[in-house]
Amino acid sequence: MTAVIETDGLGKRYRKLWALAGCTLSIPAGHVVGLVGPNGAGKTTLINLATGMLAPTTGTIEVLGGRPASGPAQLARVGYLAQDAPVYAGLPVADHLRLGAHLNPGWDAEMTRHRIDQLDLDPGQKAGKLSGGQRAQLALTLALGKRPELLILDEPVASLDPLARREFLQDLMETVAEQQVSVVLSSHLISDLERVCDYVIVLVDSRVRIAGPVDELLATHHVLSGPRRHLATLPAGLKVISASHTEVQSTLLVRTSGAILDPAWTVSEVGLEDLALAYMKQATGRGHRHRHLEVQK
Amino acid sequence: MTWLTWRQFRAQAITAVAALAAFAILLAVTGPHMASLYATSGITGCHGDTCAGLASHFLIDLTSGRGFPLLPDGTNAYVILYFLSVLVILAAPAIIGIFWGAPLIARELETGTGQLAWNQSVTRTRWLVVKLTLIGVAAMAVTEALSLLQAWWAAPIGEAVGLGGSASIMSEGRFGYFVFPTHGITPLGYAAFGFALGVTAGLLIRRAIPAMAVTLAVFAAVQFATPLWIRPHLIPPNATITTIEAAQANIFPTGGSTIAAPASRVPGQPGAWITSSGAVNAAGQPVTAPAACASALPHLLGPGGSSRWDNCLASHGIRVVVSYQPVSRYWPLQLTETGLLLALALALAGLCFWRLGRRLS
Repeated sequence: MTAVIETDGLGKRYRKLWALAGCTLSIPAGHVVGLVGPNGAGKTTLINLATGMLAPTTGTIEVLGGRPASGPAQLARVGYLAQDAPVYAGLPVADHLRLGAHLNPGWDAEMTRHRIDQLDLDPGQKAGKLSGGQRAQLALTLALGKRPELLILDEPVASLDPLARREFLQDLMETVAEQQVSVVLSSHLISDLERVCDYVIVLVDSRVRIAGPVDELLATHHVLSGPRRHLATLPAGLKVISASHTEVQSTLLVRTSGAILDPAWTVSEVGLEDLALAYMKQATGRGHRHRHLEVQK
Repeated sequence: MTWLTWRQFRAQAITAVAALAAFAILLAVTGPHMASLYATSGITGCHGDTCAGLASHFLIDLTSGRGFPLLPDGTNAYVILYFLSVLVILAAPAIIGIFWGAPLIARELETGTGQLAWNQSVTRTRWLVVKLTLIGVAAMAVTEALSLLQAWWAAPIGEAVGLGGSASIMSEGRFGYFVFPTHGITPLGYAAFGFALGVTAGLLIRRAIPAMAVTLAVFAAVQFATPLWIRPHLIPPNATITTIEAAQANIFPTGGSTIAAPASRVPGQPGAWITSSGAVNAAGQPVTAPAACASALPHLLGPGGSSRWDNCLASHGIRVVVSYQPVSRYWPLQLTETGLLLALALALAGLCFWRLGRRLS
């Protein structure tokens, strides 16, 4: 499995504050990868480094094996939908497509026109007059029009209402399946990603807390509940991710590769959201260094 | 990239062409009348000493506004037009810097559209090369066009001034503070500098409105400082020591016994630009007013008072040192000033390339 994004000791400092520090990760190709983390975890900084909008202070980053934004060929391979889906408010929809056609040698005019038709966007309408959902769709169309190998989306649905959010993600999924493009999308809302991602990376304080295919993660994590017991008495091979206790009962999220046979425990499935939250919570004990720094734009 | 640049620049380009057309019409309507006044003034065909007088007469006629089309006598329309047209050329680079330069990158950063533009299959460097080149050339073309139109319109005034015509508010030589930076090739330099300044301010400040304000302030400061402290020294000025009379110096006390000696001509150097002058003794050292002449001072403004004062100073061996740029240095100075401004513009552009390539968010 080759990596679409590979970082090693990657760090970015704004004056004295580190927005991202010591980040080492490898994002595999051929997936829809959800990049999850609390605000300030360094998601947007990581994405800006991956698109070459920022240069790293320390470490290295490679995207599809090349240096981000190092040249027209590298730019052509990566589609990017920035946070809040920026478009030129004064230019009509049709001019955005023309812009894409003029600036991208691999522009797929037919596909983009088809998309605009399907989305029911009026080509003559100024982009500034579009609804949030339509704007996001237009920006996505532009990002897809150059037929990228990797599509990066930064909080693509954060500013959309629930209906637009669902439509956007559904459309994204269909397109991804059609075009066989790798996708990395960030969100602080795991529930959004649950529906679309088959691979998840939990990023907290610049560090990867856990990464892996969603089905594998769900298969190896379980919620145990049973009479309150000291953690030390748990069977070997269990790794406790989080634990909560009442007077008589303990509830644990554990990671294990084998089955849990102790009849004292009730074993149940865990959802992706709870799993990710458990890992985020686990991390909050240490290093609040960057938490206060929401990404500067 | 050319298409995108044009598409985003279209509205500004149309505004500029409209402004240029309005300027051209205003001058084209009034120019022929001024030329006819010049033709009937008798300056063409004058010889020797009569020329200066006729030229002055022509300028006074213009200043009074007599016979100006459509307007009553005495409206000073030519004076208004003259200074208006000069101010337009002086202001054009600042306006270009503010409205074309400052928002160029700042707007993209402010609205986030830079994230869109710089993630197409075109590097940021190329994006900036095309934008700076096309809009920079447009900025220089518009400003130079304004200058050439004005030079055509004001040609009779320039000729009359060249022949020694004085006594008018418009009697400014080629080195004048209003004339020099608005004629020849300097408008090209100011336009390039103003535009690059705006772009740089926008990139560094990242917000269009504050960048516009900074552009205006810095450009105005440069425009103000250049004739006072920079232009006189672009080429080391010549200096000559001459009599008070020959320099037509108007010596006056500036407090205590110190005296100023503003000269108004350099003997044997018609049309020279006097950059500074002062009173000196026979050995060429700066002097103060001799105590013996103090008695002439109270009568300075009375009838014959100034010649009594001047004679007293002259009899004490006081002469005038004049620093000047001969008229032959007009083009060398134009070239140097324009070159300096273009070099500044290029340096600012280089800063933009470096900054835009390095980091953005």
